[in-house]
Amino acid sequence: MTLDTATRLTEVLLALAFIQQSAEHLRRFRDEQVLFLARMALCVLVILGAMTPQSLTSWSLAPWPLVGLALLSLVILHRFQGPFNGGSDRMGLLALWCLTLSECLPTEKGREIAFGYLGAQVVLSYFIAGWVKIVNPDWRNGRALRQVFAFSAYPVSEGVRGWATQPAILHAMSWAVILFEIGFPLTLASRPTLVVGLAVAGVFHLANACLFGLNRFFWTWPAVYPAIIWLQGRLF
Amino acid sequence: MHHVFAAMIRTPKLLLPALVPSWNFFNVIGASPRIEYTLLKSPEEPAGDWREFRPRPNRVPLPAMLGRLFWNAWWNETMFVVSCAERLLDEPTEHSENEIFRRIAADFDDCPEWNGAWLRFRIALLSEHENRIAREIAFVSDPRRVVINTVR
Repeated sequence: MTLDTATRLTEVLLALAFIQQSAEHLRRFRDEQVLFLARMALCVLVILGAMTPQSLTSWSLAPWPLVGLALLSLVILHRFQGPFNGGSDRMGLLALWCLTLSECLPTEKGREIAFGYLGAQVVLSYFIAGWVKIVNPDWRNGRALRQVFAFSAYPVSEGVRGWATQPAILHAMSWAVILFEIGFPLTLASRPTLVVGLAVAGVFHLANACLFGLNRFFWTWPAVYPAIIWLQGRLF
Repeated sequence: MHHVFAAMIRTPKLLLPALVPSWNFFNVIGASPRIEYTLLKSPEEPAGDWREFRPRPNRVPLPAMLGRLFWNAWWNETMFVVSCAERLLDEPTEHSENEIFRRIAADFDDCPEWNGAWLRFRIALLSEHENRIAREIAFVSDPRRVVINTVR
């Protein structure tokens, strides 16, 4: 996958993820409607710009809608005094700023570094999340995941909360999550292993969305997978 | 002018955690906040009937779970209110308190009978202590008047 193809694909997927998130802000508060309608409009321009053939990019809209989205992201950060939805919004911001920088930098090397940083961060997002768990005895013996189900704010229903009474299953699930996360960098060894790793990651995010309502992670993380696929091809 | 300057100073603090992330998801399972509220006829009325803000349903069927991949506004807003509660306990700001009041009050937009009532909320912290779930009240707000507004 070329840098240009990977960048454009990430732009389109991220813009679609932002449109989904933004739509959720349109139902109640006027100030949020103004901000997120503007974000949806800029996302449409990003998609149109990314889908313009390379030969026509001299008059295409890119990268100005991305610059607009990056500036608007600062206004939204101030509006909520931080991310609205924690980690998923932070990944969205990281991807947006890396893409904007990549599009604006004048040299191919600079573009590669900005986009490669995004790919590396996605790999780190899994590895570090696994590392902080494996060094914690409560994660290794299943207690931490039981606590997530027992009293954290995340389980979407009392039925899901009831999983806290299944310590053997949660112990196994803890190790499955730890091994997947900490082993993710190994999937970079080849294209087929990476495809398998990303498929498992997709299932992981789907489970988190169903059990804990984390639907934004399900769209935001896969949106930046082209950055890993490009990085793997560039490095190996 | 002072306001603009303060916002400029604060921007890196808001943006940098996204550009240089820590990725330490769920490294420690800390105490978890629950929001409870009560509606009063007057600000002096003693609070007694505390209700949980948006309690979870008993079950969410699989089709509903999958539908929430595309539309999960209610839940994501609830998680934002939980974040505001955590911020209010860690680093109290008027913003966090305002957001919690605003979003609880907005749930009463279809209940005109509560227009002019007084709203208080409190934050209960749940944690595990000797294999049992312990609960303590960590914050109780002052009362604020509810203004029903169908266009917010």
